[in-house]
Amino acid sequence: MIHFTALDWFWTGAFLLLMVGGAFFFYRLARRSESDFFLAGRGLPWWLPASSVFSTHTATDTPMWVTGTVYAHGLRGLWYTFFAAWTAVASFVSARIFRRSLAYTQAEWQTLRFGGLGSELLRGWLAGWQVFMNMFILGWVGMAMGKVCNLAFGWPLWVGLVLPTVITAFYTLAAGFWGVVMGDFLQGIVAVFAIVLVSMVGVFAAGGPTEVTTALVEMGEGWRLDPLAFTGWFTGDFPAVWWLTMLIIAVVGGFGMGTSIDWYVEAQRIQSAKTVRDGSYGLWAGGAITLVRNSFWAAAILAFFVLVPHIPNAAEYELGWFRLGFELLPAGLVGVFFAAILAIHLSTISSHLNLGALYFTRDLFQRYLKPEADERTLVWVGRIATFVLLIGSFFYGLMMEEITQWLIFALWLMMAGIWLPNILQVVWWRFNAWGYLSSWIANLGISWLVVWVLPSFGVLPELPEYVQFWLLMGLGAVVFVPATLLTKPEPIEHLVAYFVMTRPLGWWGPVRREAVRRGLLDEEAKPVAGERRPLIRRTWTPEQADAWSREDWIAIVLSPLVFGVGMIGLAKLLLLQPSGFTLTAAAVVIGLVVYWVIDPKLRAVSTDYEAKQAQYLERLERRLHWEYGDALGTTARTER
Amino acid sequence: MERGLVTLIGMSIAYVASLLGMLFAWWAWRKRKPPQPKGGPR
Repeated sequence: MIHFTALDWFWTGAFLLLMVGGAFFFYRLARRSESDFFLAGRGLPWWLPASSVFSTHTATDTPMWVTGTVYAHGLRGLWYTFFAAWTAVASFVSARIFRRSLAYTQAEWQTLRFGGLGSELLRGWLAGWQVFMNMFILGWVGMAMGKVCNLAFGWPLWVGLVLPTVITAFYTLAAGFWGVVMGDFLQGIVAVFAIVLVSMVGVFAAGGPTEVTTALVEMGEGWRLDPLAFTGWFTGDFPAVWWLTMLIIAVVGGFGMGTSIDWYVEAQRIQSAKTVRDGSYGLWAGGAITLVRNSFWAAAILAFFVLVPHIPNAAEYELGWFRLGFELLPAGLVGVFFAAILAIHLSTISSHLNLGALYFTRDLFQRYLKPEADERTLVWVGRIATFVLLIGSFFYGLMMEEITQWLIFALWLMMAGIWLPNILQVVWWRFNAWGYLSSWIANLGISWLVVWVLPSFGVLPELPEYVQFWLLMGLGAVVFVPATLLTKPEPIEHLVAYFVMTRPLGWWGPVRREAVRRGLLDEEAKPVAGERRPLIRRTWTPEQADAWSREDWIAIVLSPLVFGVGMIGLAKLLLLQPSGFTLTAAAVVIGLVVYWVIDPKLRAVSTDYEAKQAQYLERLERRLHWEYGDALGTTARTER
Repeated sequence: MERGLVTLIGMSIAYVASLLGMLFAWWAWRKRKPPQPKGGPR
C-alpha cells in the first residue's frame, strides 16, 4: 500500500475534475444527432483522433503487459508490442478506403462492400460480436483497475472496478463521442507527462542511462540491450520465426480491416475525422505515439531490472512500472501519477462504452428494429445502450474473471483464423460475403481441433503459437476459398457503387472496367508521347490521385520502417546508446520523406472526395432505411 | 483448467453473441428484403 498525502489527493482531484469536466463540457454538441453522439459530427482535425487512438490503447493493464514482456525479454520484448504497426500501413490503405465508405462501423461497411442476405448476416454477426466484445473489454480493463487500487490503497477489487467506471460513464452518457474524444485529448496529455516523468525518474534511480547499460553488461545481461537477440530460428523462447510471424501479422495486416482487434475502435476514429487526409494522419500519429510510449517504458523497465533483478514471479515484475511511480516519486507527484493512471483508465473505458453502444444503436436498433427512428430517439438509445454495457461490464468483471483469462487467448486464435479473409475482403473483388462468413464460422471448429481436440487425442503435439497461427490460417483457407468460388460474386451494381465510392487497392479489374463502361469513371489516362512522369508526383488531378501509384507504395513500405526503427532507436537513445541516435535520426528522416511523398496526394484525394461527401452520405442513409431504388447511384454518370 | 478447454469455452461464449446478432439480421431481412440485383462477372 502507498501513503497518499493531502497534496496527493488534491492533485488527483484537480486532474480528475479537469478531465471529466473538460469532457462533459461538450454534452450540448452530442445531443444534436446520432452523428454527433457517435462520430463527433465527422468534423475532427487529425490530432484529436490521434490522441484518442493513443489514449484508448493505453489502458490500466497496458503498463503491466509491456513491463512483463520487457522485463522477461529485454529490448527484444518490444517486438511483442509492435502489433500496433498495423496502423503504419493501414493509415495509407484501409483507413483511406474505410473513411471513403462513410460507414459508421465495420459492421455497416460489410453491407457496403458485400450485398444481399450474406452482407446483412455479416452485419448482424459483427454487431453482436462487437457489443459483446466491448462489454468484455470493459470488464477486463475494469478488473485491472480494481487490482491497481487494491495494490495502492488496499480497496476491495469491486471498488476499483466500479468507481472509476461510473465516473467515466457520467460524461460518456452525457457527451457521447464528443466527450470521449475531448476527454481522451486531456487524458492523453496527462498520461504522456506521467509516462515520461516516471520512466526518467526510474532510469536515474538506477544511476542514469549509461549506468543502466553498464550494469546490465556487468550482470551478464547485456543481451537485454539487443532487440534482435534471437534464441534460434525455431528454438527457445524468442525464435526468429516467431518474430517474422509477428511482423507479417502486423504489417501485412495493415492492408485489411479487422486484422487486429484494435481496428474496430480505430474505425470509429477514422470516420470521425473531417477529411480522408485527417483520418489517415490521425491513425498514423496515434500508432506512432503508442510506440514512442513503449520505448519510454522499455528504458524504465530495463532500469527496474537493474534495481530489482531476476524476480521469478510474473505477477510481481509486471507491476514494475507502477512500483517506480509509487515508490520513487515525492509527495504531491504521487497524486499526479495516480491521476495519470485514472486518465489511461477513463480513456479506455469511455471509448469502449461509446463503441459498444454505437454497434447496438446503428447496426441492431436502427438497421433492424426501427430504421425510421428520429435523431433524438437514436441519441437516447445510445445512452441506454451505454448504461446497459456499463452494468454488464460490472457483472463480467466481478463474476467471470477466469473466463476473461480464457478469452484473451481465444481472441488471439480468433484473429489468426480470420486474418487473411480480413485482408481479402479489402483487396480482392471476387471475395464475397459467404466466403467471409464461412471463415468466421469455420474458425471456431478449426481452433477447437488444432488447439484442444487433436492434442488431447495425441494426433497433434502442443504447437508453438506461431505454428498455430499459420496452421489456422491454412486450414481456414481450405474452407473459405471454396465457399467463395462456389457461390456467386456480389451483384455487379453493388461492387461498382462500392468501387467508385472507396477506390480500393488490389485486384478490382473487372469492377473498374464495368464502372468505366457505365461512364462512372474515366479510362486511365495514357501518358502523352514525350511527356515524362516525374519520379515523385507533387501535383495531382482528382483522377490521378484516386488511382494507386508508386507514391502510395513508397509510403506503405517506408511507414512501418519508421515505426520499427523509431521504436528501437528511441529506447536505445533514452539509454544513451550510440546506435540510438543514429536509428532515431533515421526514423525521423524517413518519416519526413513519407510525408513529403504522400501529403500532396492525400490533399488531392481529400479535396475531391469531400466535394462528393454530402451526396454519398445521403445515399448511405437511404440504404440504411432499406430504400434501394437508385440508391447505389450506378445507373447514371453522377459521380463526376 | 486446461488451456484448450478454456479456449473452447471462451470462444463459444463470444460466438453465441455473434449468432444472436446474425439471427436478428436474418429476421429483419425477411421482413424488409429489397429486390435482388443480378450477379456479377465470373
